[in-house]
Amino acid sequence: MTKRLLIVDDDPDYVAGIKSILEAADYSVDAAYNPKDGFQALQSGSYDLLLLDIMMGRGAEGVALARKIRKDPKLRWMPVLIITGIREQIAFLFPGQPVHPHFVEFDELVEKPVEPKLLLEKVSALLKMSEEKKSQKKG
Amino acid sequence: METKSRILLIDDEEVVLDSCAQILAGGPYELASASDGTAGLRLVEEFQPDLVFVDLKMPGISGFEVLEKIRGKDATIVMVVITGFATVSSAVDAMKKGAYDFLPKPFTPEEFRLITRRSLEKRKLVLETIALRREKELLREQFASIVSHELKAPLGAVQQNLFALEFELTNTLNESQKEKIGRIKVRIDDLLKLINSWLRVISVDIHKLKEGFTQISVAESITKALENVEPLSVRKNIEIETSIGAQLPTVNGDSLSLSEAFINIIGNSLKYSPDGSKVIVKAEEQGNETQISIKDSGIGISQEDLPHIFEGFYRGKSGQEAASGHGIGLAVSRQIVEAHGGSISVESEAGKGSTFYIRLPKSRTTEVVTT
Repeated sequence: MTKRLLIVDDDPDYVAGIKSILEAADYSVDAAYNPKDGFQALQSGSYDLLLLDIMMGRGAEGVALARKIRKDPKLRWMPVLIITGIREQIAFLFPGQPVHPHFVEFDELVEKPVEPKLLLEKVSALLKMSEEKKSQKKG
Repeated sequence: METKSRILLIDDEEVVLDSCAQILAGGPYELASASDGTAGLRLVEEFQPDLVFVDLKMPGISGFEVLEKIRGKDATIVMVVITGFATVSSAVDAMKKGAYDFLPKPFTPEEFRLITRRSLEKRKLVLETIALRREKELLREQFASIVSHELKAPLGAVQQNLFALEFELTNTLNESQKEKIGRIKVRIDDLLKLINSWLRVISVDIHKLKEGFTQISVAESITKALENVEPLSVRKNIEIETSIGAQLPTVNGDSLSLSEAFINIIGNSLKYSPDGSKVIVKAEEQGNETQISIKDSGIGISQEDLPHIFEGFYRGKSGQEAASGHGIGLAVSRQIVEAHGGSISVESEAGKGSTFYIRLPKSRTTEVVTT
């Protein structure tokens, strides 16, 4: 079955670039251009993975969305691929945390711009991890 | 409307207070006076003076103590000492406590007016300096955000779409077309790295870095850096020979920044080395320090450039046309290394190659086990 992904990023050109790579790899991809629309789209419950930008709007609004997801019992286990242009600054925005901050249960971090190969590897690894977790819970 | 300068006089002799008030009468001043230190200090809070005259010899708390307390409250207030027992040593003592000038009694009205004017000028300068510094800080932050949003984001979006285009056309592009896309990618990547270095210099307060220092492994930071520069060494077919001591002491620092310093230095060596040459990275314990050396057989640095290479935005005047660079990486590296209490130096000979040395102090708690 085709996996459904959601991208939340306020830069439409980035979204276009990332979306076309994912679509070429047979994922079905929707986009939201701000955290609010993104959260609303997630509520539908039909996505397998979220690709999330950190710096949106007036600051690190992506982080706020990640925290909201973590608190939401239905979305808690949603795998999230954080795509950010601020790998370096993250250490300073969130002092004391590792570069990969684990905003939610399952997340991975890649830097913008991301090479297609790396992007697809991370997406499929995250999806696989989340599948395993799901079947564990059922079993 | 020009605001009046506020002047506070602290002296136990009423005659001095009166005559001072008289001398300044009619000028653009607002005056307040106190006849002892305690009352004077209270007025410093209430009256918020620009300038305070303090008598050194008063009953109750001494003039020296008053100076010290005012300085503790607000170091921008200009303080002038008035005293009858003017000796060089008391003047020196007063200056040490932060007094700007010294007026021996008795003084003429003209002397008093002059010192008042000069002291208020000083106060103006102090305040202006602070305002300028604040403005500079603000500009720096704004510049960082402009660089980040207006330069980096669009360029990143360009690169992302180029990646997508190449990916979609994988089976369609011929070799020459692939090569062109490859060249575009490399140049955009170089630009993105340059912008990142700028951001690093502009937006990160290196001294704030120290607040997050932990025990870190130098070997790990080097390994991370080596992974990062691998694409460049592969592209230029340069072998990186490493010799990293098995039991290097830990360093009190920030792993990410330290890696960045190593990336800059090793990357620099790779950049200025001829294809197919060798770069040697060594890390060893030397007394109280860990020394990391990076040796290349590249184009080297001329004697005239050597003293400047760790300054920002410097990129050799001579002999370095062979490779393009931006000179900022070394300056950033120096800042990072120095924030770690270490030092960075270079030995080089034009045409023969360079060796960079980074020395980091051993952390005091040596028995920490790294995981």
